Amino acid sequence: MSGRRILVAVFAVIATLQAGADESAGSNLYTVVDGYKVDPATMKGFRAWRAAACDRCHGANQEGLVGPSLINSLKVLSKEEFVKTVTEGRLDKGMVSFKTSKIVMDNLDNLYAYLKGRSDGAITRAKVEELKP
Amino acid sequence: MRVTLRYLVLPLALTAAAGVAQANSDVERLTANPKNWAMQAGDMYNQRYSKLSQINAGNVNKLQVAWTFSTGVLRGHEGSPLVIGDTMYLHSPFPNRVFAIDLNTNKIKWKYTPKQDPAVIPQMCCDTVNRGLAYAEGKVFLQQADSTLVAFDANSGKVLWSVKNGDPSVGAVNTNAPHVFKDKVITGISGGEWGVRGYVAAYNINTGDLVWKGYSTGPDDEMLIDPGTTTTWMDGRVQPVGEDSSLKTWKEDLWKIGGGTTWGWYSYDKALNLMYYGTGNPSTWNPAQRPGDNKWSMSVWARDVDTGKVKWVYQMTPYDEWDFDGINEMILADIPVKGKMTKALVHFDRNGFGYTLDRTNGALLVAEKYDPKVNWATHVDMKSGRPQVVSKYSTAQNGPDVNTKGVCPAALGSKDEQPAAYSPKTRLFYVPTNHVCMDYEPFAVEYTAGQPYVGATLSMYPPPGEKHMGNFIAWDAGTGKIVWSKPEKFSVWSGALATAGDVIFYGTLEGYLKAVDNKGNELWKFKTPSGIIGNVFTYEHKGKQYVGVFSGIGGWAGIGMAAGLEKDTDGLGAVGGYKELNQYTELGGSLTVFALGN
Repeated sequence: MSGRRILVAVFAVIATLQAGADESAGSNLYTVVDGYKVDPATMKGFRAWRAAACDRCHGANQEGLVGPSLINSLKVLSKEEFVKTVTEGRLDKGMVSFKTSKIVMDNLDNLYAYLKGRSDGAITRAKVEELKP
Repeated sequence: MRVTLRYLVLPLALTAAAGVAQANSDVERLTANPKNWAMQAGDMYNQRYSKLSQINAGNVNKLQVAWTFSTGVLRGHEGSPLVIGDTMYLHSPFPNRVFAIDLNTNKIKWKYTPKQDPAVIPQMCCDTVNRGLAYAEGKVFLQQADSTLVAFDANSGKVLWSVKNGDPSVGAVNTNAPHVFKDKVITGISGGEWGVRGYVAAYNINTGDLVWKGYSTGPDDEMLIDPGTTTTWMDGRVQPVGEDSSLKTWKEDLWKIGGGTTWGWYSYDKALNLMYYGTGNPSTWNPAQRPGDNKWSMSVWARDVDTGKVKWVYQMTPYDEWDFDGINEMILADIPVKGKMTKALVHFDRNGFGYTLDRTNGALLVAEKYDPKVNWATHVDMKSGRPQVVSKYSTAQNGPDVNTKGVCPAALGSKDEQPAAYSPKTRLFYVPTNHVCMDYEPFAVEYTAGQPYVGATLSMYPPPGEKHMGNFIAWDAGTGKIVWSKPEKFSVWSGALATAGDVIFYGTLEGYLKAVDNKGNELWKFKTPSGIIGNVFTYEHKGKQYVGVFSGIGGWAGIGMAAGLEKDTDGLGAVGGYKELNQYTELGGSLTVFALGN
């Protein structure tokens, strides 16, 4: 019994370490201070999110409405899967193809960075501001 | 002899030519018999009143479930079935299934599932709802989401004709019910959040041929406005609108992507030969991008049913800054207004004002708040007909990228599409309302055809210091006063039904169907399988009165039910105030029908 408990504890430590690794990987994508001041590129990602009205389906805080929570989805989707979903849509599920949206297509990396930051918990509120140098 | 013959021939020729009038008379005959529920509102006046009284204030507490039916679709169920004789016709949200049910056997006579491009699903604002079918002369009419209007043979379900009403590739889709007035089936268009230019269109019920089409914005001839004879309310009187009444109120040619969509419930006055409806928000939601009054978005319209020509038009919210669509139903009633019997049009607008107009000419008679919390305007100036905007709540004056806080009502209005009922017995209107406020932050957005064109971020919540988000009210449209108000935990997003049995019915987002008496006292309630955003209807079959309603949460208020609402960590989401709904109900899609026990 106690042996199994130790095993569980070890797994927990590994899980924590991995989460830590993910966060540091995420931090290469974006810079955030105080949870809401972000670098210019991530700010563009937020503007694309807003202009494309993603909140109508995914919620003002990415928490999910008719569409899934992006806080959760960005923990699972690879960058490639994210780009494919946004570009081509998932029409039968109600996801728009943003192929013809210039602001979204020009900002795929920035949008990913912003949403990844939200999903990682590093960006603590949906509405961000640009980090002043 | 010759003379006699001529006189004989003439009336015959007239009757043939006016084969026209027969559709009207068929629907008129069907709606006059309260055993049917032959139109979405029960009649052409949009009154949602039934003369049936077997179920009444004395026995309504003995209502029991008679039967139920699943549509097989788990999305928001708005509108109601129709009942014509022994047959009930039901619709569903996307993919817009249609069922004809034999009420003698409860067997499905026929059913139909259209094949529609799933690309329309993401283009449907606020859930994939459909507001129901129309019926006339042995035909059933369906307005599909992808804008296809279809006529079926009511007995066999065979498709008689179908016609494309819009272009879904630019976001022009449909949620509204078609309406049959005379020999025309009249429909509108959705897509105000996609920059769609709104219109209503009339199709021949027998052939599907387009008879007329009138736009909400743009050049006079395309709106079917005659600058010299079409009138509006200005300077305290009814006057001709003048030339270019719409074009003058838009920057450049923004009217082309300026919204004014038409997805509400239409009404018809046979004596005046006028149909009435409202137009929605101007696109985008960022007012800074479209200076001007943006006519004729946000307006009440009266059109000649045969030609589409506009008799009069009245704009409720010039230069909208809050998404207060004017599409809510126009209820026609002959009532005393300030002491004088009036052919009135009564309208509960999203902007929080209850309007009473003279429906013969569009004269403004009453405009008062039907929720005391409405704060974005102090009052409507009766001379100009314009609401007097409070600067603090003006999202245009505060400008883009500024969050204007505490605006009441919220964008979904003091009432949305959920239709009110009118009882000629009490001369009161029974109104399902939202009691919700919002923060609204507009921002610049570029138009791309087929992409969302919104331009504002919103969050919604109950009025400060209050916990309930809805009221079911009784309204005196002659004086503009609330007679009584019954609080509900969530918005009342279900169409009301008034009856000669002195019982008024409505549904709640938690899923209760409720019955109240004429004073608003709750007499009975029953929890249906899912939240109710459908409209209550009644009919009689084999001597028994039935009351029914769709349950199936969804629509704008219920949109948050669908998925993953657990993680609303920082403040309120777009429908944050409704989050608690998931403690009461789940998705569904079924009809529940009630009758008195034996």
